[in-house]
Amino acid sequence: MITAVQKPFEEIYQNIKGIEKLLVLGCGSCVTVCMAGGEKEVEILSSSIRLANRQNGLSMEVAEGTIERQCDREFFDSAKKMIDEADAVISMACGVGVQFLAEEFKGKVVFPALNTKFYGATDEQGVWSERCAGCGDCKLTDFGGICPVARCSKSLMNGPCGGSSEGMCEVDPETTPCGWQLIFDRMKELGQLEKLEKTHPPVDWSSGRDGGPGRIIREDVKL
Amino acid sequence: MKNLKTGSNLEKVFESGNFAVTAELGPPKSIDAEIIRKKAGYLRGYVDAVNITDNQTAIVRMSSIAAGLLAIKEGLEPIIQITCRDRNRIAIQSDVLGASALGIKNILALSGDHQKFGNHPGTKNVFDIDSIQLIGILSEMRDKKIFQNGEEIKNSKNAPPAAPEIYIGGAANPFGDPLEFRPVRLAKKINAGADFIQTQCIYDMERFSLWMEKIRERGLHTKIKIMAGVTPLKSAGMARYMRDSVAGLTIPDYYIERLSKAEDPVSEGLAICVEQILELKKIEGLSGIHIMAIEWERKVPEIVDAAGLYPRPEV
Amino acid sequence: MPEITKTRKAVIFCCENSSLAVNAVKDTRLLEGFEQKVLPCSGKLEVGLILKCLEREHPFILVLACPLDNCKYLKGNMRARKRVDLANNICEEIGIGGGRVRMDYVSSLDAHKVERILKEVREQIQGGLI
Repeated sequence: MITAVQKPFEEIYQNIKGIEKLLVLGCGSCVTVCMAGGEKEVEILSSSIRLANRQNGLSMEVAEGTIERQCDREFFDSAKKMIDEADAVISMACGVGVQFLAEEFKGKVVFPALNTKFYGATDEQGVWSERCAGCGDCKLTDFGGICPVARCSKSLMNGPCGGSSEGMCEVDPETTPCGWQLIFDRMKELGQLEKLEKTHPPVDWSSGRDGGPGRIIREDVKL
Repeated sequence: MKNLKTGSNLEKVFESGNFAVTAELGPPKSIDAEIIRKKAGYLRGYVDAVNITDNQTAIVRMSSIAAGLLAIKEGLEPIIQITCRDRNRIAIQSDVLGASALGIKNILALSGDHQKFGNHPGTKNVFDIDSIQLIGILSEMRDKKIFQNGEEIKNSKNAPPAAPEIYIGGAANPFGDPLEFRPVRLAKKINAGADFIQTQCIYDMERFSLWMEKIRERGLHTKIKIMAGVTPLKSAGMARYMRDSVAGLTIPDYYIERLSKAEDPVSEGLAICVEQILELKKIEGLSGIHIMAIEWERKVPEIVDAAGLYPRPEV
Repeated sequence: MPEITKTRKAVIFCCENSSLAVNAVKDTRLLEGFEQKVLPCSGKLEVGLILKCLEREHPFILVLACPLDNCKYLKGNMRARKRVDLANNICEEIGIGGGRVRMDYVSSLDAHKVERILKEVREQIQGGLI
């Protein structure tokens, strides 16, 4: 999933100064799963804004809503009326959703409530960590299913740097495992250590972000 | 002497069968060229070549190429360090051309310390290539006269190739985890075309000897010149700090004990360093010593002399 | 800080077990001004609900849950604890002041403990300490 965390309240609150009719719009997909921008979080943020407004003597209508996804056009239909009626929308979706909402509702002021972090998995309740860097040319075949691009702090392709110590990465020895230790252990487990003797040439990064903003065009499904 | 690949003095020292000595020179955090002249003055005549660090620990310092040129003017042969942290393959290859044109003959390829440890932790890192790929690029630039993209290194279609002749170095951390993988990584550097390797500073002789055993088992010592890294300890406090804060570095307690008991820890530290060098010289497969006297370059002559490595050979 | 009134009572959220202790309070005058909401488990309490109560000007939220390690749903009381802390943090962050939500662990037999808690909460509210 795409993971995200909520921005500090103060930052969000500063953005909406002077707004009379506000809509807080959640997203029912990734950010619901990572507990950052789903229905529950919409409820909490909306209440927080209303309570802060009361404390500050401000009048602002704060409406709440959550749609299935903010990255697919069709789901906006159910919220269209609410969005039209609002002066501004706080989107609790990831960066994709915030932008798509802004694109779909031209002239509507849209603010983000979240900081989008990474493509990650849930390690345990309340803990998420990165797995994929979206490089556009999956290399997992060669590394036993553990990605050196995403999981090594330096995206090294040919083995660990000198900063790997007792299984952890020196960049964050408390919480971040050395990606190369993980790769090594996994390949050992699979009996494929010899695969790691291969030297990987410089990566062609143009398949990912370095090739410019990504675009997929599928003629087979395009209508 | 067999056919030399470059005009590097360090290469000549190795190939003429000498035990080589290199040291480290950290460029200043300003435009103060006098610092380089001063440090070069200490080292001149006592080392075969000197590493010029590349913004080490991710702290902004004078460019290693510029500092290298200043070192050349002072009669020292520089080994320019290039990390993969700050430059992509375009910038690195461009700098290699420039460095070579300025008379630089040795380059040491490194991944580079993560920016988190430096004085601009909010910067964006590059890591377009890794140190092994960088070694590969350097060796192809020299031996095949091509850039990483396969194009020939020449200014125009009809011009003759004019490629850099660089003696290529790499680094090795014998004590980094996973231990079992370290010799593989060294082999990869050799396969990519590294000519010499300098190790992380060594204190634990036993563990280093075991590592060298693994290296000899694979026959790697015959394919690359291995230089053992040493760093003189200034005090028991410094030793403890290094032991506790540098990943993979172990300093045996008996050294720390010796330093804390010594009346003059500075000369004790230098004495330990000299003892280590004498011990290392005996290890089969080692071709030289790399003295990393951090901001202590003036002590290098003393160490080299006491270890019986002075004068340096004229080759 | 709004005072306790007939229409704006302090809210007690309790689980089915701790509600037994509330029901066993002998001096029922202590319960005046409090409105009890029984949840199947304290873990059902949501931060949004707490904030909603504050929005509706309930002056104080008291959460009663089973003793630690004694939750009938294993971790419900731990979840409730986290949510109470978060609610207080949010109140602090948005500028209305933390300390409006209190949580205590009581067993079904702890009526005397509930009495003491109710007295303390009342004093806290009336004394304008929050």
